[in-house]
Amino acid sequence: MMIKNFYKIAWRNLIKNKLSSFINIFGLTLGISVCIVILIFVHYESTFDAFHDKSEETFRVVQHNKLPNETLYWNTTAYPLAEALRNDFPQVDIVTQIAGPVSRVFKIEDSFKNENLFEEPSVLFVDNYYPKTFDVEWLAGDKDTALRETASVVLTEKLANRYFGLSTANYQNALGKTILLQSKDPLTVTGVIKSPKGNSDHQYNMLIPYEFFKINNPYFSANWSGNYQGTTYVVLNEASQKASFESKITNWKSKYLNPQDDKRISYHLQPLTEVHNETIYGASPGGYIMPKNILNIASVVALFIFIIALINFVNLVTAQSNARSKEVGVRKVMGGSRANLTLQFVFENAFIILFAAVLSIVVIQGFIQLLNNNLATINLQLEFEATHLLYILFAIISAVVLGAVYPAIILSGFKPIQALKNKFSSPTGTKINLRKSLVTFQFVMVQLFVIAAIILAFQMNHFKNSELGFHREAVVITESPDYEKSTVFREKLLANGGISKVSYGSGPPMAVNGFQLGTNYRLPEQSEEESMDTEMKIGDLHYLDFFNLELLAGRNFLSNKEAFDEFIVNETFLASFGWKPSDAIGKKIQINEGQATIVGVVKDFHNNSLQYEITPCILLNWTYYQNNAFIKMSDSNYTALNTIKSNWEETYTNAIYDFQFLDDGIAKQYMVENMIFTGFGIFSVLSILIGCLGLFGLMSFIVAQKRKEIGIRKVLGASILENISFFTKEYFYLVLLSFIIATPIVYYFMNLWLESFTYRIQPSFWMFLIGGLSTFLIAMVTCSFQSIKASRANPIIALREE
Amino acid sequence: MLLQLNNVFKWVNSGGQRIFLLKDINLGVEEGEFISVMGPSGSGKSTLLNVIGMLDGFDEGEYSFLYESVHKLKEKHRANLYKEYIGFVFQSYHLLDELTVQENLEMPLLYKKFKGSERKAMVADMLDRFNIVGKKDLFPAQLSGGQQQLVGVARALIANPKLILADEPTGNLNSSQSEEIMELFKQLNQEGVTIIQVTHSEQNAAYGSRIINLLDGRMI
Repeated sequence: MMIKNFYKIAWRNLIKNKLSSFINIFGLTLGISVCIVILIFVHYESTFDAFHDKSEETFRVVQHNKLPNETLYWNTTAYPLAEALRNDFPQVDIVTQIAGPVSRVFKIEDSFKNENLFEEPSVLFVDNYYPKTFDVEWLAGDKDTALRETASVVLTEKLANRYFGLSTANYQNALGKTILLQSKDPLTVTGVIKSPKGNSDHQYNMLIPYEFFKINNPYFSANWSGNYQGTTYVVLNEASQKASFESKITNWKSKYLNPQDDKRISYHLQPLTEVHNETIYGASPGGYIMPKNILNIASVVALFIFIIALINFVNLVTAQSNARSKEVGVRKVMGGSRANLTLQFVFENAFIILFAAVLSIVVIQGFIQLLNNNLATINLQLEFEATHLLYILFAIISAVVLGAVYPAIILSGFKPIQALKNKFSSPTGTKINLRKSLVTFQFVMVQLFVIAAIILAFQMNHFKNSELGFHREAVVITESPDYEKSTVFREKLLANGGISKVSYGSGPPMAVNGFQLGTNYRLPEQSEEESMDTEMKIGDLHYLDFFNLELLAGRNFLSNKEAFDEFIVNETFLASFGWKPSDAIGKKIQINEGQATIVGVVKDFHNNSLQYEITPCILLNWTYYQNNAFIKMSDSNYTALNTIKSNWEETYTNAIYDFQFLDDGIAKQYMVENMIFTGFGIFSVLSILIGCLGLFGLMSFIVAQKRKEIGIRKVLGASILENISFFTKEYFYLVLLSFIIATPIVYYFMNLWLESFTYRIQPSFWMFLIGGLSTFLIAMVTCSFQSIKASRANPIIALREE
Repeated sequence: MLLQLNNVFKWVNSGGQRIFLLKDINLGVEEGEFISVMGPSGSGKSTLLNVIGMLDGFDEGEYSFLYESVHKLKEKHRANLYKEYIGFVFQSYHLLDELTVQENLEMPLLYKKFKGSERKAMVADMLDRFNIVGKKDLFPAQLSGGQQQLVGVARALIANPKLILADEPTGNLNSSQSEEIMELFKQLNQEGVTIIQVTHSEQNAAYGSRIINLLDGRMI
């Protein structure tokens, strides 16, 4: 049997050339694994919420707010919208609305009658239509009635376990148990469900009927105007009805919206499957957005890494030609046809590829675990599924076609006599040139990664270390659930040595992570239509001093009031009226919540993360919404953290202490960018590794081939250094060439990426130089390894062989 | 007549000059002959052997092998012809290092589409005939030079060729090993195999029935 023979030879060659076999298999395994893990990730991120039965027909209702100075894109709508749609469009299959996820505290009695407090950060308010729209897997309880009663609650298995110590066998026992919301409202457990899948934008641990939310927020839930918003979904009979339904609501909305809002607001339907990859509407609470172009880039990166590994393979296999030429000669003389030999070499290469592919199945699982563990913040739950074997199959096929057939054709084309004499009929050196171009191409890609990673590193550093215009070091934020107690808490804290300042407000100057409030503003004499969008902040008398915000004109608040009467605004706010700071003092401004006088103007600070511009900002002297305490620790070891905790728990009973560092909160704003940076960091290291692995293997063959030449050179007086440069010279130029090719490409794409940030670095030449130089050095060291060995060998031995 | 070369020329162009490797070769070989080709280095001995073995082409003249005009045949037919009728023996044996003795012998049969059972029988027969049964599972590197060449000859013979072409078959061997191989050739020749060998050694040439001398590509 020919195949058996092929297999035997393939195996023996694999064993015989241990180094090159290792490089081939290791490189290819790494390349295939990384490529496929990226593709699995891309697939995962681009199929968010696609697993729901009705995902194709489900749309999120989004809202465009046309203001005089800009258009705002909201992923939420007024709360009453859902019910109005349901009433007025009976032909629409389902309308459902959710609020949250929000954080709530629960008091639960255990079997020993001990009351325990639990904080649950992911409570989602959903109506009875929710489980009909989105797939929810019920482990206990009746899916049709579970959310019907207002005071009921559905737990995920995780909470059923945490609260009541239940497991798969006895989830039924949870039904009928009571938990106390915020220690006062009893909710009866009516169902236990599976935790939502990772690739869903709805991440919750607990479902509470929407009705409950409405009853407790009567003002919001009836208000068509303002910023109190829920997320609304509609399920159409067919996805194709989208356009007609959109136009219907355009005419219909005036029935509920006031004339100004009707003019300003338009509703649109966004397919559920696009929600996760579309950036303009932003992420909903608890979710995150994975922009489509990032996924496209990731796919290209995956392809590049695969190609780099494949080029290694091709180069190594063709480099082995010399060693195999005798075999080709002998076999041809013995009657082997070219087709026959091609088949043999294809088989042999395919054997290695297959070996690598099988290994990569294991490696992929490891990588996936690693990724899931490291990206637990986004609840990443990648899984290696049977369909992913198709990816591997595809990788095998393309590797065989691109990497196995070509070298086999080259090898089998040797003329027998020349092959036996080890003389190559490389017609005008085309084969060698191909190898050179492959190496160049490979290093272009390597340098793309490396330089991109360096530029990313500088941009990340810029994000992290830019002057934000306010004080942010050693600041802890905790909730302040009871305004009445805030003075007591403050005084307790300040009595301690480790704490220097305390302030209360709605959020820190960069009001990220849900601390941001918004409103519309105008001059009292302007019409409502002319109002513009601004950020609104509530701060106490210590706020300016605490965050070191600089007053350009006017003064600080004199007092906080239940009906606010003073504003402090930022410079950007003034720009909308063309005022100088001193002009603004004494001006009256109307916002949605009321009217007040500007008493101070502060220098601009970054109230948004650095991807975005500084926007108008109004500070109010309001007692309302001062629900966060800012605490500055005076020593850098944060020894005061325990003091804060104990004082807090002493002050606010019936609540759970939680805190975050302001710095951490700010850093979270760059999560996606950080992921990209980390990704590129890893990929550039991997690409260098794979690329240099190939170079190392290639050099070992070239050096073996030229041992005689080295011997002659040495006998004729060449020094070791001269011999090394003889080998590395060629690659010196190739890496240089690849740098020249890579630079403009990286420059173009990195500029494109950086342009999406308002505050960005300017890529400068030395960043490219660092990337080029480091790749170059690593490549040269790799090259030198083998040549040093060969150069130091005794020339007589090399010359005696033949 | 086994083969006939008429006015065969072969040349290469180098630096605007035409250098003749073979010049006006006229040679007829009858079945059963044992011919030794002699001449100094570079006189064209190996080239002549390669042309006869159809591994190399020529530029002018005619070559017929078993009344087929080799120069008019397509590559594939030519390959079929030498596959069937010619066996090669090399100075440096050219056994495949990754294959055992047995597998080396079997290799040419694989390309000639013999059935598995047939191949096994033929290989066993050859091992037996050359007295190397005990070495069948060894790799070439585990054999002495003489033993390797023995395997080389066995491999050339395995498909029952009419003609054996041997390019300095004893060039890498010591005198006793040489003698052994030449005795083997003599015996094969007596059994009816036609042999053409290239050699430097008068002693080896003496085993043959006819000596051809080459100088600068020309028969003298």
